[in-house]
Amino acid sequence: MNFPLEQPLFQFFYWLVNTAGVGSAVVGLLIGAAVTTFALTLRWIASAKDMGQESYPYPPKH
Amino acid sequence: MQQTLTLHDRDELITPLYKFDRKFWMVIAFLIAIITPGMLLYVRQLVLGLGVTDLNRPVFWGAYLVNFIFLIGISMAGTVISAVLQLLKVNWRRPITRIAESLTVFGLMTAGLQIIMDMGRPDRLINTLLYGRLQAPLMWDIASLTLYLLTAVFALYLQLIPDIALLRDTAPAAAPEWRKKLYSILSLGWTGAKEQWRRLEKAITVVSVFIIPIGISLHTVTSWLFSTTVQPGWKSTILGPYFVVGAIFSGIGLLFIAVSLAREYNKHLKEYITETFYINLGWIFIVMSAVWFYFTLNETLVVVTEQETLEFPVMASKLFGQFAPAFWGMNILMIAATWILVAPKFVSDKPTRNPLLQTVTGLVATGISVILFFLLWLQLPALSDPNIQTGLIIAFVLLFIVALFGVTKWMKTRLITSTVIASAFVLFGMWLERWNILMPTLTHARLIPYTTYTPTITEIAVTISTFGILTLMFVVFYKFFPSISIWEVEEGRALEQIADRR
Repeated sequence: MNFPLEQPLFQFFYWLVNTAGVGSAVVGLLIGAAVTTFALTLRWIASAKDMGQESYPYPPKH
Repeated sequence: MQQTLTLHDRDELITPLYKFDRKFWMVIAFLIAIITPGMLLYVRQLVLGLGVTDLNRPVFWGAYLVNFIFLIGISMAGTVISAVLQLLKVNWRRPITRIAESLTVFGLMTAGLQIIMDMGRPDRLINTLLYGRLQAPLMWDIASLTLYLLTAVFALYLQLIPDIALLRDTAPAAAPEWRKKLYSILSLGWTGAKEQWRRLEKAITVVSVFIIPIGISLHTVTSWLFSTTVQPGWKSTILGPYFVVGAIFSGIGLLFIAVSLAREYNKHLKEYITETFYINLGWIFIVMSAVWFYFTLNETLVVVTEQETLEFPVMASKLFGQFAPAFWGMNILMIAATWILVAPKFVSDKPTRNPLLQTVTGLVATGISVILFFLLWLQLPALSDPNIQTGLIIAFVLLFIVALFGVTKWMKTRLITSTVIASAFVLFGMWLERWNILMPTLTHARLIPYTTYTPTITEIAVTISTFGILTLMFVVFYKFFPSISIWEVEEGRALEQIADRR
């Protein structure tokens, strides 16, 4: 009889969803990846080279 | 593209940020006054335990979780307005994107607080994070909520950068040094170079694309929390979309109220946030109300028709049991809100002698129907005769219809006021909807004797505190940052000028 949990792949899935702490690690990775992406995006925006201030709307004009 | 910021705009949008006048302090004092009792009672709950609430087996989730779902729902406003309308390049969104996005952030923050308040031992919260398992729906909610909050903060911040640079460059000499330093740090050295604009707009577009599925995931994951249990009443496959629709509906409602309050607080905002916004978003509001009614009918009709042994008592408690006032109250509020939004579009501006369309008639009928509703709710022994009850119900329905017709003319000439009234009805109705999803099921749990739940003074005060905290965050935030996205409004004006020249 083929019982899925005899197969290593399903044993891995079982371990993945049932092991205490693994869920926290996955959530931690997800949040960590998001925060890193956001930080890198902000750095990317801030590091843009100043190639003429064509569209700079400030300081105020009359 | 050449954009202009006139001194007029600067006076109206930036100068008030540095004025801590009496009105501001009165608002702060009022909010602190409504927050304090709830906080003190929460400290008491921390010391004495959850026994001071009406939470017990099997009602583990009470008013706090109703608030949680409601607050998560209203946070949908930012996603809908800012992201969807941004991607669709809708021009009238520009003046209200910031308020919408900030509502998302503050809504999620206060929603997170509810989870902590619902815990008897919040010090054990860390265990959820340390020993979390992927099979636990709570972990999905934590992941979704945190990711949504982070993305919402990031989206809000991205849109703020050019305006923070403006604040940095135009801060008055008398402004506190710490404030100038704060703007200098937060502006990330923004100079408005062409490449910076290009990258910023690209980032805003990408975030707008991602925040929509993340937002929808949060609202559906919350419904999964319910449906993965064995409790009757939470098994409907429509629960996920129902949560999303309710979230958009209540989110738009709160946005109308927040924008209207901001307009009243700073009268100059009326120049930027015009009636066009109320008309256009009002149509989306009407569509959402139609979808919401359809889903509510679906939820009710399916259970009533199947008469399943465990499911039906839950529905019966809503239709004519202990939760009937909340269920019918919700429906009455939603019918009234939809009528207020739709009916004025079908009547003329001209005065009429029709007694049914007179404001006085409407107000009198409203007053009497409210009294009748409470008489039915209180279930007084003197009115317990079925014939009297039927008579009261028929009288209520007729007077309610007269009330709706009576106020239509009045609403016709007051677009903003009527939208705010409809929004308030929707918000209260949606809070009751969350209540009606949670409480009937929890009090009619599987295999456990039926019970009741009535929020104690602690839960009521903490709920009031929560909404006070939400408003306080809103008020304080807009004392440091402009409530209108100045650069987006400028961009919109520039685009209109280009279109006019063509």
